[in-house]
Amino acid sequence: MSLIKLTGITKRYRMGDETVFALDHVSMAVEPSEFVAIVGPSGSGKSTLMNIIGCLDAPDEGEYILDGENVSALPDRELAILRNRKIGFVFQHFNLLGKLSAFENVELPLIYQGVRSASRKEMVTEVMEKVGLTARLKHRPNQLSGGQQQRVAIARALVTRPSLILADEPTGNLDSKSGREVMDTFHHLHKMGNTILLITHNNRIAAEAQRMLSIQDGKVTCPEDYLSMEREAERRQTSGTDKEVRGA
Amino acid sequence: MKLWQAIKMAFKAIASNKMRAFLTMLGIIIGVLSVTVLIAIGQGSTVQITERITALGTNIITVQNRAVRQVRLELKDLESLRGKGAVNCVAPLITSSMTLKAGTNTYTAQVQGTTEGYDIIRGYGIQRGRFITASDVHGRSYVCVVGVTVADELFGQRNVVGEKIRINGMQYSIVGLFEEMGTDVGASQDECVAIPFTNAQRSFRNTAITTFYANAYGEEYVDQAVKTLEAFMLDKTGNEEYYAVTSQTQLLESMAEVSNTLSLMLGGIAAISLLVGGIGIMNIMLVSVSERTREIGIRKAIGARRTDIMMQFIIEAIVLSVFGGLVGILLAWFSCTTIAPRIGVAMVMSSQVAFLALLFSVFIGVLFGSYPAAKASRLLPIDALRYE
Ligand SMILES: Nc1ncnc2c1ncn2[C@@H]1O[C@H](COP(=O)(O)OP(=O)(O)O)[C@@H](O)[C@H]1O
Ligand SMILES: [Mg+2]
Repeated sequence: MSLIKLTGITKRYRMGDETVFALDHVSMAVEPSEFVAIVGPSGSGKSTLMNIIGCLDAPDEGEYILDGENVSALPDRELAILRNRKIGFVFQHFNLLGKLSAFENVELPLIYQGVRSASRKEMVTEVMEKVGLTARLKHRPNQLSGGQQQRVAIARALVTRPSLILADEPTGNLDSKSGREVMDTFHHLHKMGNTILLITHNNRIAAEAQRMLSIQDGKVTCPEDYLSMEREAERRQTSGTDKEVRGA
Repeated sequence: MKLWQAIKMAFKAIASNKMRAFLTMLGIIIGVLSVTVLIAIGQGSTVQITERITALGTNIITVQNRAVRQVRLELKDLESLRGKGAVNCVAPLITSSMTLKAGTNTYTAQVQGTTEGYDIIRGYGIQRGRFITASDVHGRSYVCVVGVTVADELFGQRNVVGEKIRINGMQYSIVGLFEEMGTDVGASQDECVAIPFTNAQRSFRNTAITTFYANAYGEEYVDQAVKTLEAFMLDKTGNEEYYAVTSQTQLLESMAEVSNTLSLMLGGIAAISLLVGGIGIMNIMLVSVSERTREIGIRKAIGARRTDIMMQFIIEAIVLSVFGGLVGILLAWFSCTTIAPRIGVAMVMSSQVAFLALLFSVFIGVLFGSYPAAKASRLLPIDALRYE
């Protein structure tokens, strides 16, 4: 069973007399443990798609099934619980709470889940080890580098052990070295069995994924250079990782 | 989310902007302070009035005959009342201001014509000699009992029992000296002279009894005695309009009522400032909600429910108002204990009023925190996240 199944998802914005199709009958599926990249130029509807998949926004039309559950029919409260338990978000602008320490930021989803303090501490410590930030627990976001902040955000996304990690241009605001670190973290997470949906306008970064989808003017397609992408993926595979390559 | 976590979160948010928190609380601080202090002043004056009246004795019943022309009260009427029902002593009182002479000294004093028992009813002590007796009244003896000021003025000393003074041309023997009362309870007996009622009637050329005093066998029988006296007066005059029977307790109650109404009114006016403080909280909370829209979006994105956001903001408002309330009460307590005695204002701060003021400020917090909190909780996660 697919983890994500979108059928005919449409999102329109009305600008005066004109109607902009941010998403135009998008249908796609993501399987568990896949690492999928979505590429497309700025304004193509990537973020809109991501927000709908992340249950932050609702489509005007279409059906969205997440983990066997029809999300479109869920009330506000259930959506909040779903965001909390099943989805881990990583944003381009990190979106950390500036007044909280790294530890407290990562702890927050667990607080909303009602996890007890002792277990929270354990879970946060564990996930901070995973992203290699054990030494920065007490730092505020503004005391961390961009790459470190994004790793805190990744830790926050991971701490609830979600079935799906969504990342909207996670390297967009980082220099290449920090971007590299973040991408390495995603590869690591993928290897551990996490499902990752990565949005980017950078083809080189997209090529690192297992599978790539392209979005243009709100329509999702398979990229023309898909074959070359596949070749690239195979190259990566032979260089050490053991990944299954899927067709679209 | 657990309540405790929400409270911790609210404290963190408040601690991260202390100046703003203080300014928000200021309205509540001033509101609670003024409510508590004004009511304390009101209650202070109630207590003061009560103390003064109680010092005069509460077992005193005053009976007034308002229809002297139609209804005559005789001394023997009053005598018949003594020991009737719960009534113990009964004594008439007529007064006149007269000049007293002793040798070459003169002094103008209030001369009171009364009978035995008057000293008991009013609680006047006799330090030397005795008070007027029944045989003085019936025998129309020329005896008098003087206050200490009278003794001082006429004789320059207080060993005056047995001395003679002239009142309205007649010579009286001093048979007693009142105890000194001081002046802090209004008109003082120190400046008075008491003579037998029968002599006063003749001397003042006034035979009508307009006022008499009585007491009951004990404090607890005052109401009963009042009833007996009312029945007597109704029987005598045949009209409820013609007399008034007032016990000191009734006087006390009506005074306290007036003073309580006053302090409630003061408190009510001050409560308006508390309300204004609440509006201040709402104002700041609304600013805070729009300032923190992005934060709300982030919290929602990672799984905060509507109730979580609602709770966060309401608790923040409540914490602010409770804190403000506590500071206000503390300041009020400081004014009552430290400032009031120095400036000579009677203030009595009751814990009930403090508690009510605190409760009211919690209520204000909930009332004025709800709207901003609801507004915050209703934001759509995507709109909140996109907010610049
Ligand atoms: N809230 C909005 N109101 C109006 N138009 C919007 C809104 N959000 C997105 N759009 C439009 O939808 C299209 C897709 O936007 P977006 O998903 O943010 O693109 P991307 O993330 O690929 O850059 C754009 O044309 C954008 O102008
Ligand atoms: Mg975008």
